[in-house]
Amino acid sequence: MRYLPISLLLLAWACASYPERNNFQSIETSSTSVTNPYFSNQEKDYVYKADIDLYKKTFSGILVLKKLGAQHHRIVFTTEMGNTIFDFSFKGNDFIVNHILADINKKMVINLLRKDFRTLVAENLSVLNTFTSQDGFISETEIDERVHYYHTIDGNLEKIVQTKNRKKKVSFIFSAVNEEVAKNIQILHHNIKLCIKLKAI
Amino acid sequence: MRNLAYLLWFMMIAVNAQSEMSTAEAQALEAKVKATADATETITSNFRQYKHMDFLSNDIESMGRLSFKAPNLVKWEYAKPFAYSVIFKDEVLYINNEGNKSNVDIGSNKLFKQLNQLITNSIKGDLFNTAEFNIDYFTKEGESEVHFAPKDEDFASFIKAFHIIFNGKGEVTEVKMLEPSDDYTRIVFTDRKTNQSLPDAVFAH
Repeated sequence: MRYLPISLLLLAWACASYPERNNFQSIETSSTSVTNPYFSNQEKDYVYKADIDLYKKTFSGILVLKKLGAQHHRIVFTTEMGNTIFDFSFKGNDFIVNHILADINKKMVINLLRKDFRTLVAENLSVLNTFTSQDGFISETEIDERVHYYHTIDGNLEKIVQTKNRKKKVSFIFSAVNEEVAKNIQILHHNIKLCIKLKAI
Repeated sequence: MRNLAYLLWFMMIAVNAQSEMSTAEAQALEAKVKATADATETITSNFRQYKHMDFLSNDIESMGRLSFKAPNLVKWEYAKPFAYSVIFKDEVLYINNEGNKSNVDIGSNKLFKQLNQLITNSIKGDLFNTAEFNIDYFTKEGESEVHFAPKDEDFASFIKAFHIIFNGKGEVTEVKMLEPSDDYTRIVFTDRKTNQSLPDAVFAH
């Protein structure tokens, strides 16, 4: 009986949403949209050295992102020698696999990459709710029916948190930002041991 | 009308810029490349790599150094814009990714096994195997260019063709790997030195 209050407390915490867990304060704001500017320039080729840690294995290569039109991005991953591993397009709501190496042509792999990259390149999002924390503003949005939180500090987008069933699922962390280019990006999965580190080259 | 004449004239020049070799010329080139390859114990060379993708504004450039020791030790070492090296040794890739070392066993992966074998052979230019490739020979601006199209369907879905340019001595000066999409990786070799002593330590991991 003594443990019941603690158990209830733990249960309440487990059921709490991402803002509740992190003590974000809900605020009223006039801004209706939030922007991810990091892949928004059609003139620019976004080229990153990518290091992928999956459980105890590591992979590396070159990740290329290009905006080709409004709501149209192409994302290609190659080896250092230039051999294409996968090549995807996001066009409006459509997702197109232009090419993928037979060895990794698996539904689970493609779905995981699709969700990560959809979030990474989504540019203008409608804001559902706004919060503040000690560090800055947090905008709640939705991509592919998943709730996302956009953390903005001093006007810069620093982090996107993708959630599933109210829990933190993937964090996208942007750093070394210069002229709307994030030189370093980390895509960190919280439910599987997967971390993708991108460094602009 | 005069514009049309100019256009046709330029088109003729463009066609002439790359012309197919006669059988005798092709055989002579093949013999020369094989003789050069057989006499090659070591190669060191700088390289500059251009990854071309049609949708990009610019090719992605990288550069580094290649070391080769007969019969099949190869080290590709990228220095810019990242530090990355890969040593092909037997059926293992030894990778040094900015100081982080790892091994990849490619023994079970047919595709990578083929790729490594072809890259090793393409450094010497010795891909003249008609069982594996459809081969076309061209002369272009005084140099020889040979197109090797893999016959293996699985491999061809990865790399459609290797285009190799040879200088007058039968040495490789450029390798272009074309993908089915027509995007390609072009590697240009400069400052190539052959048969200089190359210690095994270069290939140590």
